[in-house]
Amino acid sequence: MMKRMMLLLVLLLLCSPMIFAQTPQYPTAGGHYVPIAAAIGMAIASGLCGLGQGKAVSGAAEAIARNPGAAAQVRFVLILGLVLIESLALYTLVIIFIKVG
Amino acid sequence: MHETEIWLTALFNDHLAGIGNSILNLVGQPSQARPWTNFITMELLVVLIIVVLFAVLKTGLSVATPGKFQLVFESIYDFVHSQTEDQLGHHGGRYFAFFGTLFVFILVSNLIGIIPGFESPTMYPSVPVGCAVATFLYYNMVGVMNQGAFKYAAHFAGPIPLLAPLMIPIEIISHLARPLSLSLRLYANMYAGEQVTTVFLGLTYLVFPALFMALHVFVGVLQAFIFMLLAMMYVAGAVAEEH
Repeated sequence: MMKRMMLLLVLLLLCSPMIFAQTPQYPTAGGHYVPIAAAIGMAIASGLCGLGQGKAVSGAAEAIARNPGAAAQVRFVLILGLVLIESLALYTLVIIFIKVG
Repeated sequence: MHETEIWLTALFNDHLAGIGNSILNLVGQPSQARPWTNFITMELLVVLIIVVLFAVLKTGLSVATPGKFQLVFESIYDFVHSQTEDQLGHHGGRYFAFFGTLFVFILVSNLIGIIPGFESPTMYPSVPVGCAVATFLYYNMVGVMNQGAFKYAAHFAGPIPLLAPLMIPIEIISHLARPLSLSLRLYANMYAGEQVTTVFLGLTYLVFPALFMALHVFVGVLQAFIFMLLAMMYVAGAVAEEH
């Protein structure tokens, strides 16, 4: 275990050039439409995420109703699925953070 | 983007600026007026808290009469260990240290932002990226150490050798997307949770912002669990042997 930890530490130190990464500044030509576009994009992402999560929850609820003994497993899969779908909407949010303010 | 210093960072910058600048100079960065950033000082505080917590726990360990403190930590250990065994089988205990560390560090980092006067270090992009890069390096390293470099690289080609030219770019892209998604998920959840609470605090009185803060606490705990779980699934995928 110590060997693994030491090796991981060395690999991480070798990644230190990432400290110097910078985002290039391109001239933005959007102007006044950037916040509106950001809001519409986020709304679409959140709406579709809501649809996907609704399907996931409905599948999980039905599975628990049919087979209450498997509730723990189904709950685990449900939480995992919800978080993965949520992260897709959050990718859009991060682009908004970068572009707007 | 707000970059105001919290009291801890101001303390570090007022008294320990020299140490900060020498660390920056070590990696070739120029000296700055106020070198310490919020997330660095908060990370150090989180590490200090975790080390002190576990040191106090270790001195009080007892098999016959476990106190409440020990029972809490035993339940955390059982939780992480049972997840490791679920994902990685009975030999998963070898990798338990990494997952446990990840879970405890991200959990404490997420929750320390609730306390007024402190900030979650995971709220800044650098900290989740650090955890995600460490996870990426760890699961690849474990895969190579377990199966050998050639066999590990060969599993990128997929189950059927004929499909290899199609599978290899897909697998490479999906592997590269993993640290991106890990870091982005944690960062965006923490940042958005704090922003939502702040926005609602500016809008209305006590109850609604408190509800959003409760959601933020729940999301913080859940994101720590999910980060650990995904790290386990990646290690399980890297270590898996074809029967």
